[in-house]
Amino acid sequence: MNATYLRIDLVRQLRDGMYISFVIALPVVMYVLFGTAFGASADAVGRGDTRFYVMTAMAAYGASIAATSIAASAAMELLQGWGRQLALTPLRPPGFVATKVVVALVVSAVGALAVTVVGAATGARVTEPWVWLATFLVTWLGSSIFALYGLVIAQLFHSESAIGVASASLVVWAFFGNLFVPLSGTVQQIARWTPMYGYAGLARWPQMQGHSVTSTHVDPMWTLVLNWVAWVAVFAVLAMWATRRGRARQ
Amino acid sequence: MTPSPPALSLRGVRKVYSSAAAPVVAVDGIDLTVEAGEIVAVLGPNGAGKTTTLDMVLGLIAPTEGTVEVLGGTPETAARGGRVSAVLQSGGLLRDLTVGETVLAIAALHGAQGRMAVVMERAGVTDLARRKVRACSGGEQQRLRFALALLPDPQVLVLDEPTAGMDVGARRSFWETMHEETRDGRTVLFATHYLEEAQAFAPRTVLIDHGRILADGPTAQLRGLVGDRTVLATVPGAADGVLDRLRAVPGVREVHREGERVTVNGTSSDDVARILLTELGGHDLEIAAPTLESAFLALTGEGDGE
Repeated sequence: MNATYLRIDLVRQLRDGMYISFVIALPVVMYVLFGTAFGASADAVGRGDTRFYVMTAMAAYGASIAATSIAASAAMELLQGWGRQLALTPLRPPGFVATKVVVALVVSAVGALAVTVVGAATGARVTEPWVWLATFLVTWLGSSIFALYGLVIAQLFHSESAIGVASASLVVWAFFGNLFVPLSGTVQQIARWTPMYGYAGLARWPQMQGHSVTSTHVDPMWTLVLNWVAWVAVFAVLAMWATRRGRARQ
Repeated sequence: MTPSPPALSLRGVRKVYSSAAAPVVAVDGIDLTVEAGEIVAVLGPNGAGKTTTLDMVLGLIAPTEGTVEVLGGTPETAARGGRVSAVLQSGGLLRDLTVGETVLAIAALHGAQGRMAVVMERAGVTDLARRKVRACSGGEQQRLRFALALLPDPQVLVLDEPTAGMDVGARRSFWETMHEETRDGRTVLFATHYLEEAQAFAPRTVLIDHGRILADGPTAQLRGLVGDRTVLATVPGAADGVLDRLRAVPGVREVHREGERVTVNGTSSDDVARILLTELGGHDLEIAAPTLESAFLALTGEGDGE
């Protein structure tokens, strides 16, 4: 990875005004809507309240969108033949992937932070202050998995439709990841195998410790960690393979 | 002292793309050696296999069969080390970066920030540094690609139709810049379908079509493959007797006239010219060598239904 190259790529993302407002505004608006609808009463949930619970979900969703939509830039770069240009430099496919992951992490930090700040301003509460920091850090860093996911989709589809595919599929993973509607029963048992479930459960761990809102099912931490690690491995391998494939003539 | 390896060495190189219908043979057995410092044009129509060949030289794609060596090593190693670089045919640029940012990004990867100023000056993009790539004309983008190719100070420069999309003036200034670059002893391999570019710039031309080499030799000699010269002169009072006299010259294949303007086709242009000027009192003499285009058409079998 090259620091100068990383900085240029990052500045390029952050000065795209529409992109940034989409990544920041959408999760914030969703938090305000859902948080107000479900969290009008200050019910205690785990180490926090309902608003904090919804806030974490939307921060995770925002961070995931941010990370995934780096796919947009990756897809466009490949469409424009930039991968061929990079192949004529010392930057290797793992270096390209690592650079994109870091860019995605910075952008997703902005996305998660926006929801967290709005949450704090609108009365999301926890019983112990460290829950704020722990939740933010897990939400932010854990979203790196979706940078890899976005790369895979982008490099497989090789067109602007990749952005649509990635965003649309993310809604499905978010549903199974327990971010929109609290899951229970068979659906939850299926959901435990999907890519966002481990991430979402870990992001909520400081508040919920693996407990669900509506079911008695409790996820041990190791199954959540295993879910996250396994899907990172799957996406990483696919992303490297797809990047190599993208170097051939288009 | 061991002799230095050739700049490029291709041995029995084939490239077959699998496709749903039938395998597509893009390159069908190419043997080519280019010594250090040579300037070689790869000439051929669209779909001849030029870009596929160059992509294999750059390590962007692997040959299905055969071996490709660049400076005695693998193309990938040479490309990563910046010993071979390229002006790619199209794309290869991020449209939302500025020209300056693009140069910096690639320079940083090569660790060649020190060469940025000189390279941008040489490629003529210094004044464009703050302009977005998407706002640059085709010729300006090509100059930027050229600057990127020069950044690692490559020993071998590969140009894939470098002047495609340029107007005549831009093309001329591009090749003037290239002439300066090759004075340092760089090896240059360029694909083109502008025949005059091969004639003007490359001492050696490789003619390819359908993934095979049809001819490989000095560009001037290639022109001679067709052999004929055309001699034209104005002969006052030219009559059929004059034409008969010219037809009697050994090597003359065809003679005709329009009014006093006589046209002679054949291999013996010197003899014909002498006779026209001295014996027949001709003036306004012209001798035209065949263009590479006609050589190319002759070699690729013009009239075979294409």
